[in-house]
Amino acid sequence: MSRVPQAGYGPIALGLVLIVVLLVWVLPSYYTGLLTQIGLYALVTIGLNLFMGYAGQVSLGQAAFVGIGAYTSAALAVKGHVTPWLGMIAGALVAALVAYVLSFIALRLRENLLALATLALGIVINVVFNEWEFIGGSSGFKDIPGFAIGTFAFDQRAYAVLAWALVALGIWFAGNVVRSTFGRTLIAISAGELGAQALAVDSDRLKRQTFVLSAVYAGVAGAVYASSFSYIDPTSFSFLLSVNFVLMSVIGGIRSLWGAVIGAAVVVALGQILQNVVPIVLPSARGDFQQFFLGVILIAMLILLPRGITSRLGEART
Amino acid sequence: MIAQIWQYVLAGIAAGAIYALIAAGFVLIYQVTGMINFAQGEFAMIGAMTASALATGGMPVFEASAIAVVAASAAGALCYLLAIRPARAATGVTLIFITLGLDVALRGLGLLVWGTNPLSLPAFTGGASVNVLGGVLSPQTLWVLLTDVLVFAALYLFFRHTYAGTAVRAAVANPPIASTFGIPLRTFAFWSFVAAAAIGGLGGVVVAPITSATYDMGLTLGLAGFVAAVLGGLDSLPGALVGGFVLGIIEKLAGGLISTGWEQGVGFLILVLVLVLRPQGLLGRAVRRA
Repeated sequence: MSRVPQAGYGPIALGLVLIVVLLVWVLPSYYTGLLTQIGLYALVTIGLNLFMGYAGQVSLGQAAFVGIGAYTSAALAVKGHVTPWLGMIAGALVAALVAYVLSFIALRLRENLLALATLALGIVINVVFNEWEFIGGSSGFKDIPGFAIGTFAFDQRAYAVLAWALVALGIWFAGNVVRSTFGRTLIAISAGELGAQALAVDSDRLKRQTFVLSAVYAGVAGAVYASSFSYIDPTSFSFLLSVNFVLMSVIGGIRSLWGAVIGAAVVVALGQILQNVVPIVLPSARGDFQQFFLGVILIAMLILLPRGITSRLGEART
Repeated sequence: MIAQIWQYVLAGIAAGAIYALIAAGFVLIYQVTGMINFAQGEFAMIGAMTASALATGGMPVFEASAIAVVAASAAGALCYLLAIRPARAATGVTLIFITLGLDVALRGLGLLVWGTNPLSLPAFTGGASVNVLGGVLSPQTLWVLLTDVLVFAALYLFFRHTYAGTAVRAAVANPPIASTFGIPLRTFAFWSFVAAAAIGGLGGVVVAPITSATYDMGLTLGLAGFVAAVLGGLDSLPGALVGGFVLGIIEKLAGGLISTGWEQGVGFLILVLVLVLRPQGLLGRAVRRA
């Protein structure tokens, strides 16, 4: 905690957006799509890191909030012809509202039981996506309208820039949160909730606010995802996606905002590399086998760098 | 209508018999180490896939099954030695992440070794379905129920009537004091993983003829096993048995009477309710606040 970084998050984040703007002009469109994916995953993971890394909690259901954001925006756009710009805000609000309500159930629990509760709530929400015919049931939404500015309809490049602009905004905001009294109090809660309460910290309220904030990040990312892919169904937001967010969070460094970006980039990039390399060695390899390597990396990181990840080193790694 | 509901109940008993076995593994590990092992379902996958792959290669079913249970136990031992033991200084949340990593890694390993195609395992014995008061149970379901009886009886005898079992109960009741009496807590943690993996692997083997075996079957089984374990009480082996059957029956009733989509959902709704209203479960004692 003693080493809070001096450089602001804002300028670096802005630099990152400029790099992305340059990259999308030179990269083939396939890589532009990956860049968008990394950006959106990073956005979710930044929110997750606030909740898990800073507040010391755990969520195995974050994909559900991504889904809520995506479904809200898609439903408004497909059924109500509402622009995705408003859909994005609505998605964030609905995700926040659901997180707020669920926090009264989930945040009474700690560690093991909190993990189980968030896992269960995530799966129940996914079942609702599947069973609710109004939002497409198991077939979801097709032909979701895209973002547009005036007459300019977003292409892959524009989505990459949008995603990373949101990452920059998200990092800048989270950076301010982390360095405020609020953020320092969160760290105090993760260091010892009872101790923090003894210092008159309303830990329930802070945990709830952080949970809601993490849902906002997920909801925004979901709304952009829905429009950029123009197709969503319940399988896009399964428990496996929630586990992937945990992988990104922990691999990148759970109490680090840049760690969220690095984690998302590593998981997506490594997945791509493994998908191309492993079949050369093992021709029969199919499916998401890269998960094996990601799982091993996760365990190795937790064993070899246990203090680097859940310790109280604060922002030392950024 | 009544006949239909009775058939759902029987289907629930068949499903619940498997859940009870997975849940028993969770409870064993939770009792001894205080950890929730998110990889528990993958031991069932390893058992089911190994047995099916060997049987497809021409090995008799019972030999293939025996080797599969050994393979699952070995996986449990390796998980403990390579991932859990080296991280023994870790806190609760870190251990959750580690077992999640194990879950992801084992599922990926299953995919690398056996691919995406489902494998099938012949039923242990042929024969017609058994009529139970107008409903039917398949012969393989009877094998699953027999496995439940044997496993839970063995666990009961071990914990109540052997010296080692008493020592484990002492270690669970009060780890520091048990430790000063020379009870080797770490050795117990190791064996709890091996036993949980063996029971999980056995569950996978006996269910494979009913559902066939796929690399991702561990996810669904593991999730159902959690619900059953929490429902019955995370620290209670009889609770795992009861929780397994209660969950199986509720799932099949919800699936039959509401919609198949809610079959899994209703279990997790119950899980949330139990966690909030009665965190110790149906048969458990007070929840360990660790």
